[in-house]
Formats: sequence, C-alpha cells, structure tokens
Amino acid sequence: MLYVLKRIGVSLLLVWVVATIVFLAIRLVPGNPAEILLSQGGVAPPPGAVAQLRAQLGLNQPLGVQYVEDMRRLLMGNLGTSMQDQSPVADEILRRLPRTLELIVAAAILSVLVGLPSGLLAAIWRGGMFDRVASWLAAVALAVPVFVVGTLMIEIFALGLHWAPAGGYVSFARHPLRHLALLAMPATTIAVGLAAILFRMTRASVLDVSMRDYIRTARAKGVAPRRILARHVLRNALMPIVTVLALNLGSLLGGTVLVEYVFNWPGLSGLLVSAVNARDYPEVQGVVLVISVLFVALNLAVDLLYAVLDPRVRQG
Amino acid sequence: MRRLRLGPVVAVGAIATVALLTPFLGLANPLHMDIAHRLAPPSPAHPLGTDAYGRGVLSRLLWGARVSLMVASSSSLLACVFGTALGLAGGFLRGPVEFLALRGMDVVLCFPPLLLALLVVTLLGPGAGTLIPVLVVLYLPGFVRVVYAGVISVRTQDYVEAMRSLGAGRMRIMLRTILPNVGGPVLVQLSLAAASAVVLESGLSFLGLGVVPPTPSWGLMIGAARATMAQAPLLLLWPCLALSVTILALNALCDALRDAVDPHGMTRRAHRAGILERLAPGLLPARGPALQVVGLTIAIDTPAGTIHPVRDVSLTVMPHETLALVGESGSGKSLTGLATMGLLPSIARVERGAVWVEGRDVLRLDEAVLRRLRGEMVAMIFQDPLSSLNPVQRIAPQIAEAIQAHSAGAGKAAKRRAVELLRHVGIPDPERRAHNFPHEMSGGMRQRAMIAMAIANHPRLLIADEPTTALDVTIQAQVLELLAGLRHESGMALVFITHSLPVVAEIADRVSVMYAGEIVEQGRVTEVFARPLHPYTAALLASVPREDGSLPEPIPGTVPPPSALPPGCAFAPRCRHVAAACRTGVLPLMEVEPGRLTRCCRWSDLA
Amino acid sequence: MFSLSRREWLIGAAVLPTLAQTARAAAPDTLRFGLSSYPPSLQPWANTGTAALTVKTLLHRGLLMFDTSGQVAGALATKWARDGNTGWHFTLGDAVFHNGAPVTSADVKWSLEQIMAPTSTAYLRGQFEVIASIETPDAKTVRIVTKQPIVTLPLMLATPFAPIIARDSLNAVGGIGAGPYTLTSHEQGVSLSFAAFPKFYQPGHPKLKHIHMPVYADENARVAALQSGDVDMIEYVPWQSMTSIEKNPKLHLSAVDGPYMALAFNGGTGPFKDERLRQAVAHAIRRQDIVAAAFYGRGTVLEGLPITKTSPFYDPKYAHGWNYDPKLAKKLMAEAGVPNGFNCTLLSTAQYGMHLATAQVVQQHLGEIGIKVKLDLPDWATRVAMGNRGQYEFCVQGQTADNNDPDGLSAYIDGTLPPDNSRSYHLPTPEIHKLLVEGRAEFDPAKRRAIYDELQRVAIKVVPLASLCWREQGYAMKKNVRGFTNMPGGLNFYSGYSLENVYFA
Repeated sequence: MLYVLKRIGVSLLLVWVVATIVFLAIRLVPGNPAEILLSQGGVAPPPGAVAQLRAQLGLNQPLGVQYVEDMRRLLMGNLGTSMQDQSPVADEILRRLPRTLELIVAAAILSVLVGLPSGLLAAIWRGGMFDRVASWLAAVALAVPVFVVGTLMIEIFALGLHWAPAGGYVSFARHPLRHLALLAMPATTIAVGLAAILFRMTRASVLDVSMRDYIRTARAKGVAPRRILARHVLRNALMPIVTVLALNLGSLLGGTVLVEYVFNWPGLSGLLVSAVNARDYPEVQGVVLVISVLFVALNLAVDLLYAVLDPRVRQG
Repeated sequence: MRRLRLGPVVAVGAIATVALLTPFLGLANPLHMDIAHRLAPPSPAHPLGTDAYGRGVLSRLLWGARVSLMVASSSSLLACVFGTALGLAGGFLRGPVEFLALRGMDVVLCFPPLLLALLVVTLLGPGAGTLIPVLVVLYLPGFVRVVYAGVISVRTQDYVEAMRSLGAGRMRIMLRTILPNVGGPVLVQLSLAAASAVVLESGLSFLGLGVVPPTPSWGLMIGAARATMAQAPLLLLWPCLALSVTILALNALCDALRDAVDPHGMTRRAHRAGILERLAPGLLPARGPALQVVGLTIAIDTPAGTIHPVRDVSLTVMPHETLALVGESGSGKSLTGLATMGLLPSIARVERGAVWVEGRDVLRLDEAVLRRLRGEMVAMIFQDPLSSLNPVQRIAPQIAEAIQAHSAGAGKAAKRRAVELLRHVGIPDPERRAHNFPHEMSGGMRQRAMIAMAIANHPRLLIADEPTTALDVTIQAQVLELLAGLRHESGMALVFITHSLPVVAEIADRVSVMYAGEIVEQGRVTEVFARPLHPYTAALLASVPREDGSLPEPIPGTVPPPSALPPGCAFAPRCRHVAAACRTGVLPLMEVEPGRLTRCCRWSDLA
Repeated sequence: MFSLSRREWLIGAAVLPTLAQTARAAAPDTLRFGLSSYPPSLQPWANTGTAALTVKTLLHRGLLMFDTSGQVAGALATKWARDGNTGWHFTLGDAVFHNGAPVTSADVKWSLEQIMAPTSTAYLRGQFEVIASIETPDAKTVRIVTKQPIVTLPLMLATPFAPIIARDSLNAVGGIGAGPYTLTSHEQGVSLSFAAFPKFYQPGHPKLKHIHMPVYADENARVAALQSGDVDMIEYVPWQSMTSIEKNPKLHLSAVDGPYMALAFNGGTGPFKDERLRQAVAHAIRRQDIVAAAFYGRGTVLEGLPITKTSPFYDPKYAHGWNYDPKLAKKLMAEAGVPNGFNCTLLSTAQYGMHLATAQVVQQHLGEIGIKVKLDLPDWATRVAMGNRGQYEFCVQGQTADNNDPDGLSAYIDGTLPPDNSRSYHLPTPEIHKLLVEGRAEFDPAKRRAIYDELQRVAIKVVPLASLCWREQGYAMKKNVRGFTNMPGGLNFYSGYSLENVYFA
C-alpha cells in the first residue's frame, strides 16, 4: 500500500515537472499567440489589434503571475481555454483523445498479430529462409518513413483499387462501417513500423529464452516442443516484448502526427502540432499534461502486468 | 567476447566508407541547381537523374549519406556516453543521484518526442547542430535504463563486494568491474539507437525540424520527393532504398554484436550426424547395461576452427550401479552427460561414437522417439536448480508436466502425483509447497523438486550433473542421501557428474576421471582412491582437504582449453612425473587390471 | 453502446470494398468542399486565414461585396452613392438575419463600430480610422462620414472583413449574420456543415441546399480526397497536382494568378539599407526559375509592382522595371562599394514548400553574382515573430493585395506605416506614402492613373519590396460543379462569395 502511494506521489511529481517545463519552454520559444492568430494566410496584423488581443489573453502579466495562475487552475482540474477560439481545452482533448487511442490500439493489435508470430517463427527457423526474408522486410518497414507508407497506401488502396476512402474521419456512432474503413489504413500504416519492432524484439527474446537452463530442463523431461514453446518460451519471452510494446505505445500517444496528417485523421498529435504552431499555450500545456498522465498510467499498467506475468516481481 | 561475424561489419563499414569518400568521387555539386533540367531522367552527368531543382540525385544521395550518418552516429554515441555515465552514477551511487537519474529519464519519456523536437528546434533554429541534441535527449533514457539494470544486477555480486571491502574507490570499481559487464547490452543499444536515428532524422527533416535545405539529407530528399511522387516516383525510391539498406546493415551489426557479447549467443545451427556415421553406427553393445557410451567425440565449430571438447569417451553403467564422472570444470563431463540425453547445445555436434541407453542408440534416434525416451527412460538433474526451473510456473505443474509428457493421464491425477513425489523427496508440507514458485523455495528444496521431477516416471537411468554444487554442506548430504535411497529402492542406474571427490567416495560404485575432454582413469571407487593409476587422479586426491588436518595441495596451472591442447598427454604440462614419452604421440587408454583403466604411460611407476 | 452482431459483421465485410463507392454517390443538393485548414476562429471581423474567410463568406454579408467580374456590387445595401467629398450614403434592402430579424441601420452602425472600437482585433481597424462618424437617419439608411475624402471606402466594405452582424449576437458562433448559409454543425478540426438560409435576400440563392466542408490540411490528402470522390471540390490545389487534375476527364481545374511572392528588406540595419543593393537583388533573380521550382510552372514572372495586367493602372513602362540583368546588378553592387559581393541572411520558413523553394532559388541566383546567402528557416510562427521584430536582413513574402486597386498594396509598400511582418522593416518611403494618400483621396480616374504611374516609378527605384512572381491559386472540382468563380489578383481569397451560385449540372 505504501509502495502504491509512493509511486503515485512520484508520478504526480513527474507530471508537475513536465507541466512546468512545458509552461516555460513554450513561452521561451519565439512567436506569440496573438500575433499568429492575426497573421493567418500571410496577411499583416495591425499592431494595435495584436496588442489588444495580447491583453485579452492575459499575456501582458509577468511570467510568475501567469505560472501561479496556471498551476492553480490545473490543480482545480481546469485545463483552461484555447487562445484561438476561447473554447475549453479539455473538451477538445476529450474529443481528440479517443480517436488517437483508437488508432493506437488498432495499430497495436495489428502489429501484435503480425509481429509476434513472425518473430516467433523467425526465431524457430533461425537463419532459415523465413528468418532472412522477414528480417529484410522488417528492415524495410523500419526504414520507410510512415508518411511514405501512408501515401503509397492511399495511392494503391484508395485511388487505385477504391477499397477504402482516401482519408478523413467519421464518428463510429454516425457511420460504423465507414468509420472502420477510415480507421483501417492509418492503423495499418502505424502497424507496419510497430510490427517490425515487435518482430525484432520477439525474435531476440525468444532466442534468448530458448537458451535458458529451464528450457533444457523441459526438454530433459521429454516435453513436446510445441508445449515447450507455448508454456515455457513464450511466457518468459513476453516480458521484454511487453516492455518494448508499452514504450512504443507511449511514444505514439503524441507521435502519430504524420499519419494523422496524411490520412486526415483528427487526433491528439495533430492538435499538439497545430497548438504549438499557433503558440496556443493552454492547449499545448493541456495536451502534454494529458499525454504525460497517460504515459505514467501506462507505465503503472505495465508494472502491474509484469506482476501478472512474473511472480518474482510480485514479491519484490 | 566471441569473434564478431564479419559480414555486417563489412556492410556498415562499406556504407561509412562511401559516405567518407564522397568528396573525392568527382560527383556533381549536390547544391547546384539547373532548373531548366528539373526532374530529368538519368544521364551520364547525373546517373540517377535530377530532382525538382535540377540537382543530381546520386550526388545528393551520397552527400546526404554523410549528413544523415553523421547525425545518426554522433547523436547515438553522445547518448551512449552520457547515458552510460548517468546509469552508472545512478546505479552505483544510489540515493538522490539514482532518483534524479531515473525520474529525469521518466520526464524525458513523458515528453512526446515531436514536441521535444518542435520546442528545441524553434528555440535553437533548425539544422544538424540542433538535431543532434534532440536525438541525444531522445535516446538517453534507453542507455540509462540498460546500464542501470546492468549495474543493479552486478553490484551485489561477490567480486564487487570483495573489491569494496578491499577499499577500492568507487570510481575504480565502476570503471574496472561494472563497465565491462554492462558493455554488451550497451553496444547493442548503441547500434539500435544509430539505426533509429537515421530514420528519425528523415522524419524530422521531413517536418522541417531537421537538416536545413539546400544541404542534402535522406529525410529531406524523401520529404521533397513526396510532392513530386506522381511526376518522378523514382526520386522517392532512391533515398528510401539507401535508408533501408543502412538500417538492415545496422540491424545485422546489432545482431552480430549481441551474439558476440552474449554468452548464450549461438552462431550455427545444429548439425546432424554425418552420413557415414548414420550408415555405420557403433558396435551393437551387449544386452544389459543401462548406459553404454562408445567412443564419443563431440565437436564444436568456431570461427577459429573445429575444437573437440570431448574425445573418444567410453563408459558403461549397469542397472543399480552408480558411476561418478569426475573432473575440473572444462573437462567435458557435462557435455558427455548432455550428449547422453541428446541435449547437446546447438553449436555442438557428435562427430563419432554412439550412446546406448537401455539398448537404444540415442544419437541416431528420431527426435520424436528420443523425446519419448527423455524423462521416461533417462532423466537428468542439473547443477543450478534456480535457473533450471521455469521462474514463472509453480512447482506442481512443472512436475506434472514431466508425467503428462509420457502418459495420457488427466491433469488432476498428475498434480496429485506431483505432490506425492514432493513428499517422497522429503519436502515438508508438500501440498503447500506444490503451489510455490521456484524463487519462493530454498536451494535445497528446489533441488529436491528437481529430483522429484526427474524420478517422476521411474527412469532406468538418472544423470545428475553436479546436483549438490550449489548447495551448502548439510543440504548436500541430505540430497546425496536421498539420491542413494532412490537408487536403492528403484534399481535405476545413476551417473553422477561432479568435481568433488568426497562426494564421489560417498555415493559412487565406480569412477571415471576426465581431463581435458578425455577419460584418464577409470575403476572401482575404493581401488582408485586407494591407489590412483594416473597422476591427475593423484593430484585431485591430494587437493582435497584431509581429515587428518594436513594441508591440501592445489594442482598448479589450469586445464588447457580444447583449442590449445598440447601434443601427447594433455596433463603433461602440469604433471610432476612427466617424461619425454608423455609429450609425443597419442596415448591410449589401457586396461591395466580388470576394470582398471588409465591413460598414463608411466602408471606402473606411480603404483 | 453500439455493438454489431456477427451477421452484421459479415455483411459489413462483404460491402466494405464497395463502401468507398457508395459513399461517393452524393446527394445532388450537397456540395462537399475540402478546406485546407480548420478556421482557427470565426471571429467575424478578424483575419484568421483563407479557410475562415471562405466560411465567413457563407455565413455573412456586408453592405457591399464583389461580383463575379470583380466589381463592387451591392449586398445588404442595394444602393450606395457619394454624398459630398467625405460622405457616403447606403440604402439597405430587405435582407434578414439568420434569426429572422431584419437588417437595420442600427445593426450596421453597431457592426462597423465594433471594427473601429479601440479594443477591436478587426483586420480593418486601422483603415477604418478614416471614418469620422456613422449616422442612421432611418432604419434603412446609413450615412458614413470620413475624415478625408476616400475613394476606396466601397472596396473596404466589399471585403469579407466587414460583415454586418445582428446587434449583440457575438455569443453565437461567429455571430448571427445574413449570409446565404447557416452553420448547422461543426466538429473542431474535422468539418463544418451548412444549410441554405431560406430567407436569403437574393431570391433563388443559394442554389444548393447544403454545403459540407471537411478539412484536409495535407495537400496530398486533399487532392486524393477529390480524386477518390470523397469531396466535390477543393481549395488550395497544390501546384504539382494541377497538371494531373487538368488531365483527369472527370475533374476541372480553375486556376488564376492571385497572390504573389516577393522579398522584403530590413532598411534599418544590414546591407539592404542601401537601395542600390535592394535594386541589385531585384535584378539578379531569374524569376521563371522560381515559377518552375516553387510552382511547377504555375505562375507568372513579376518584375514590377504586383498590379495585374487587366488593371487600368497597369503600366508596361514599369511592369519590367526589375528585369533580370546580372550586369546591372554587379554595377549597382560596385557603386554601393561591394563589387565582390557580401554575406547576408535570408529569412524564410521550412514549414511551407513555396517559401522554402523560393528561398533556395534566390540563394542560388544571388550566389551567382557573389552575394553569399545563408538561409534562416524557422517554423512559421517564429518567422512571423521575427518578421514583426525586424530580425532579418531580407525575407521571403507570400502575400495578396487587399483588392485590385493599387491602394490595396498600401500595407505592403508603405514603409511609413508602423513596423510589421508584412512589409520591409524600418524602410521609410515618404514619397510612396504621399502618393498613396493622394491617390486614396482622388476621385478623378485620369488623375489617379497619373498618381499611380508616379508611384510605380518611385517604387522601382526605392524597392520597398522586390516582387518575384505571381502564383496561381487553384480550385479543383468535379466536372459537374458549376457556377464557381475563381477571382483574380487581390480578390482571390474572396472567391467564396460565389459559392452561393454553385450548382450541380
């Protein structure tokens, strides 16, 4: 119990540090929200209008006052309002977050379905034809940037074969099938790279575990190879795979921007980038805060999963 | 560290060389625009055509390699240096340093990488000089974690504690003992980071957060080519191809590094026995023995050539009998035991000889048949019960698995039997213990569980590979007693592999002494101990602490590695009785008395 | 919670490949228009970008507007006339706001005063300082009195920056206007939907019942959406895709020269304090290379002030005043005391391809006459901030005149105005300022022509900005989309006005 409390305490500290760094960093960066809001499309903002907007947005106050004000607001659970259209930041994040999560989860499922079995097979047939071909493919998948994969997929599946729409977003409630059709391509695009990472990790981990003494013990017992694989190798190989998957999913929380861009998927990363471009301070802070809270929660979940997977962790 | 495979090194080296030599290749200026000839097809001046500004694609590709690889290598190297330092400091100094190092990395991980890049680039302005710190920060947590984990695992180990008690300074301990131990994983992490940095450079440059145009880089080329994909699809292909090949080479290098630094890393697939051997198996042995090993020679192929860690070993063990296989570590006794089970590691192969278990040639059996034999006819107990038990499975199912592998019985019956077996090997409160995980038991208890597992199917032959080495003396005696009792009641044959002579005296009927891959002496325990016929046996006996209190005499020198065997008698360099004849020719194993064999040509002088 | 039965899944799997097609068979009364960005704000009088402007032309109307020929036309005001040297008279028609209330002179006065208010963030606030008072003799009449005579007042009022909003209705999204469409739903960052306003003042307009505007920020995604039939029409067609769209038998491209690219200078510090070096730069650039590299040939070389060929103020004498002449450039450099060139930094941005490409070509060409240019390519936001603060030696500009009158260039060439990222920094141009003021107050067309001729002559010498090229601004649509007009020059971004005419053939 004490351990859990301590962990939560450290996590809160972590989130606070991140919030503070973001607060300072975004204000340190040149460019100010009022100016940008009024300079859309390369037209000149009248200086008076900029000064007015700055005052309205409370940007004329000293940094310390702004910081205290911000932190107090955050403590009350209020993420503030966007500097662009004065709408609550929390609303916008709540709208966007499920879309990004959906994308990440779909990509994770796809990549696990592909990466895990292929990594396992490559480890079993190490040095064989499958291993070689799969390793090549994984290298290519890692090397081709997602925006290229995405563009190629649109060219082939949307414009060439007409299997799917070229991009966009429709909510599930309104149009379930079209929603899934729109989800398929961006999720696959992310899954390509993720599957390659999982493939490499699975292959390495399975190879590592299969050299362990207890695998030899199982063989000495006369246990069938398939059962050894399922009961002994996979179970133990899963830990590092879960770690890598979790780390990657965590970084995807704010890192799907290119895919969102190419497929016109209105997710959280896109919001973050447009918020930074507009220097919309509350929005940037809100998004980063949510991402870091999720990341911390993800880490906690992974630790719990560890405890399920590995009884040794449960004890210590 | 093993030898590194050359292929990946050559590939990475070749890529780096091309990048380094680019200025001397006489290529077109990668910055020179010729807009009249934009998107031109290949020509002698521009073998891969020109881009949207009429610049040579090949030239930009190679110059771009310099930039991309420079960014990747310097950022991963810097991250490696800083990350290792932080991880070392955190793991070894502990306290606030540890907290700061680990939580600091958590903060970095909490930051979306893109935001980090956006902020740093807008602060410092884009360019390779900005890209490197961004990538360093991004890769830092990986190195810190790897090094920290490595330090944690070694800092409690005996030799570190020993150095600490000797008063070595912290810095010295870190540099001398810990760093070499975490070197392997760090190297692997380094090549991983370098590979991923090449990709990230391209992504960030695509977003305008990386290298500044018109400087060529692969990421910029890919980003620019996407706009003209419809007009000139090849512009996209070349940088992607270059990137893929580089990643592939770096991945291969990473694999090779892992194999080279990882003691488990195996480079070759298992070899099957040669055709000749399959056609002409060893002589059919007489009926009767539980185990008969005939002329067993085991080979391992290494990059430096083939070595033979076990040479021409022959053994016979009758039912009810206990044979002790004795020798220092590296003498080949464990490999002999594993060969008997058909469980040689994949790098080792049987070159000659046969192993008969209950009348069946183990080495020439189909794997499926062999599997049915293992655990039922012949079972094995290993030296370290902790690492030999599956850490994430409870004890009972691990034992039940041995039963179920050889009978179609229901799981419940097998579990009940497992509890009975635990009781049988003397584990108190077996019902409760059956639900324990291996790490929840004491060393002695784990070894008893291992034994329970081995005897689950009443094997005819039990091979025990140093089963008591990891245990303290009292437990050791209990385990030996248990084994002796089991053998007595079931009539199984026991091969007891050990380096401890007192244990041999206690348990074995006969003893085979191995040295550097060969049997040097064999006979009844009482006779061999009373009157050794090989100087090595004599030396071994002299090195044991005596009851009369006289000082043990250690054997000078070490066992020669199988790659550097001296000609003649392998023990000659350490032998007090060495003569000229010992240093030449092949020395045969001679039966000097019925049941007494020795490989020493001066045996008569010894007796 | 929505859940699908297994059966539905199977059906779904079977129809999935055809889904894209079925979705494409659009209802003929809905126009699906792919926007290039989601309007950051619909604040009615602020300038928050082209996409916002298009949306605002659907929701709002001002007193005046531009018709499809680019002429000022009546909107909420049916008649307007000068009333003395400084007075303007507007007679309102029978338009009603989306809330059903009639548009009255009080609404007009309130709206225009919002623009003029000292706390206003309106785009026209500065230009409206010329207004002395707004009088409302009756509910249908508005009289605007200006401090000086001003010929361009109708042009200002015809832009979408001066919409009339129902009094005190700013709490509604974008305010309650009297435009052809009403906003029915919007999803931040995703799309906006509009329905025809049944009581729109123009009978028979708008022609289509609905407009749906999904946002496609990535240009390739936008083009793909049109090609795959996800939308009927897109704005901001990327130049590299124009040819393939023209070749596509199902699609129609409408592209006209609209915005222009130019270089602005820092007149306060650095080498470009010297007008001879500004001239040298203007003469050293082969502008067709920029048209080719940045716009894939989709643009026109511009060697004088950005005044369109069709304008009555276009003067061929000065239209090529900054022709490519490297010898002259070298001579000017020698006169300025730097015959062998000098080092300088060009500010642009890596965020927009056309700014980046323009900068790269300029760097190359100036290098040819010995000027070593270093590129500074921060993100757009930083670029704007640096522009406003004059943290550059010279910079790439992409801009559009406010209208096609030469006065529409004031904001870009009048260095006497306060410093601003849209024009050269600390580069006083008293002569140009004087001429612009004169031109604004002159009602006689012939005299105005003479004034702007002189302005062009002075500008060629002073180089308040070095024009580079016009760039085409393209809208692409399915062949059966009719009635849309892509307006040229400074009016290009007001093309949304013609969406009320759009119908399906």
